[in-house]
Amino acid sequence: MLTLPTLTSTDFLPLWPALILSAGACLVLLSEVFLSSASRSFQPLLTVIATVLGALVAAATVFSVPTGVFGGFVVLDPFGSLVSLVICIGVGLSALLAPAFLRGRQAERGEFYALLLFGGAGMSLLVLSNELIFLFINLEILSIATYALAAYLRRGPRPAEAGFKYFILGAFSSAVLLYGAALLFGATRSTLLPQMGAELARIFTDPTLSDRQPLAYCGLALIGAGFGFKIAAVPFHMWTPDVYEGAPTPVTAMMSAAVKAAAFAAMVRVFLVLGRGIPGDALLTGFSTLAFLTMIGGNLLALPQRNVKRMLAYSSISHAGYLLVGVASLFVKSGTTKGGVLGVTALAAGATPDTAGALRGILFYLLAYTVTTVGAFGVLGALERRDDEVRGFAWDLDRLAGLAQRKPAWAVAMAVFMLSLGGIPPMAGFMGKLLIFRSAVDAGLVGLVIVGVLTSAVGAYYYLRVVVYMYMRPAPEAGGLPERNLSTELALVLSTVAVVVLGVLPGITGTWLSRGGSVFLGR
Amino acid sequence: MTPDALAPYLPLLAVLVLAGGLGAIVSVMSALLGPKRPSAVKSTIFEAGSEPSPGSARQRFAVKFYVVALLFIVFDIETVFLYPWAVNFKALGWFGYGEMAVFAVTLVIGLAYVWKKGALDWES
Repeated sequence: MLTLPTLTSTDFLPLWPALILSAGACLVLLSEVFLSSASRSFQPLLTVIATVLGALVAAATVFSVPTGVFGGFVVLDPFGSLVSLVICIGVGLSALLAPAFLRGRQAERGEFYALLLFGGAGMSLLVLSNELIFLFINLEILSIATYALAAYLRRGPRPAEAGFKYFILGAFSSAVLLYGAALLFGATRSTLLPQMGAELARIFTDPTLSDRQPLAYCGLALIGAGFGFKIAAVPFHMWTPDVYEGAPTPVTAMMSAAVKAAAFAAMVRVFLVLGRGIPGDALLTGFSTLAFLTMIGGNLLALPQRNVKRMLAYSSISHAGYLLVGVASLFVKSGTTKGGVLGVTALAAGATPDTAGALRGILFYLLAYTVTTVGAFGVLGALERRDDEVRGFAWDLDRLAGLAQRKPAWAVAMAVFMLSLGGIPPMAGFMGKLLIFRSAVDAGLVGLVIVGVLTSAVGAYYYLRVVVYMYMRPAPEAGGLPERNLSTELALVLSTVAVVVLGVLPGITGTWLSRGGSVFLGR
Repeated sequence: MTPDALAPYLPLLAVLVLAGGLGAIVSVMSALLGPKRPSAVKSTIFEAGSEPSPGSARQRFAVKFYVVALLFIVFDIETVFLYPWAVNFKALGWFGYGEMAVFAVTLVIGLAYVWKKGALDWES
């Protein structure tokens, strides 16, 4: 006789954002085939409404007590709710950018919005997954939607290259992650993350189980590498510039904002829960090496780019590096005196690392980066002209020359986004860096923070170059302007306001963010 | 790893041996006992739906094969889920019925979409 799980409404609480997004996607799909093309113009609006509703129900669970639901497969915790909220914001803003872009290419089809929403549902579930198989399925839901979106404009070699590269490398990285999961299952005989964490702790303390240690280390390293691909950390970053450049710009915005946030949050959850039982500095060394390489690699590779879209792709790599500093500081153990690439200064006796503070920093950074990068790609997408894409000229710095005279408001918005990406006060990006670097210094990772600050200074060069082109170069003579579009301008206004407000008054996230450090660790 | 840990997989091994053995027996028997009357058409390579391709496999063929294959897998998997549910129908009760209804309706939405899109129309 089988026993049925008893599900209560609490079990469904964390799933509502994903359910709403999926329902929206189904509605869009049905409207696509059952309505005439003239009466389908509400599809973007429906998409945005679904993401807004998703954001609202995600926000409603921020103050919940961390628990495991659905037999421990799904978690209900403030960290997951806040990342779901960020994902809904990112997907919604990207959907606002899409109508004008698709109309310019005669590619207005509902499948685009349906894939955005399905991908968003996968991302929202990914950050709530507390079990490896469930996590992998959600990772695939979001990946498959994103592969299709990257190749959405089928004509021309660039989208095809982007879609194909992303598919091959994405599938490869999924396989690496799955292999790691299989090895960890072999070592721990469970796929539930909290149980695996407890079993790992036993493996590393019980001498009779020490033969399983290599298996555990290999599994963790492979899972880390799989996530490294998804978040585009150096040395797993090779696909990023080509895919970001070739994908339709609203999709690039969604990838760098929402997909990255989801993959980061899932990685943080997996390693936080599994890492409790890992002795020594293995995780700290791993993550600080990744952070070190990613900050330096991303920023140096962005320096010579004249193609702004490619520059933003490399900049997204470097931002993954700053976030990884925050992740590394999660794994500093009290009383640590060595470890980390650049060493760890000893914490004061009796001091424990502030994990919650580091998580809050990561969350704020994800939110700030999401609104900033969607805005930056939005301006870029609005300036694109279809005929330039084939020659790869559409995103050259010259395209932005004299934007301050041609479109003063857009120039202001782009300047705000660039300053925020560069981490210059009073923008949101500055507050994000401040929070992350402060928690890293508190955890003793001073060397890593010095590298972070120095590479940020490098970044200021290529971000400010965009501002210089907009304000100090004359406009080209035949500078045709794109037509106005309400939804694009709404997205740009919303993200500009969000960047400035989050930078000037970071306190408005106060009570919400203060809950963000609360992650369900099981038991 | 102790042998005990593998004990639950013993039925799986039995199925593998039985299925492999049955397949081997059937093909050996048909080779030994079956009548052999070859003709030109029978001797050609069999490939469903396309011209037989001796030599290079690198030829273009219609993308609609993929669509049909994908749809087949989707509904195949639906069946895989429906059978265990049907076997345990009484035990699962209304809860199981609701879960299955949600699952089936989701697939029907997909089916309606591909139908109206014309993916099931082979000629177009």
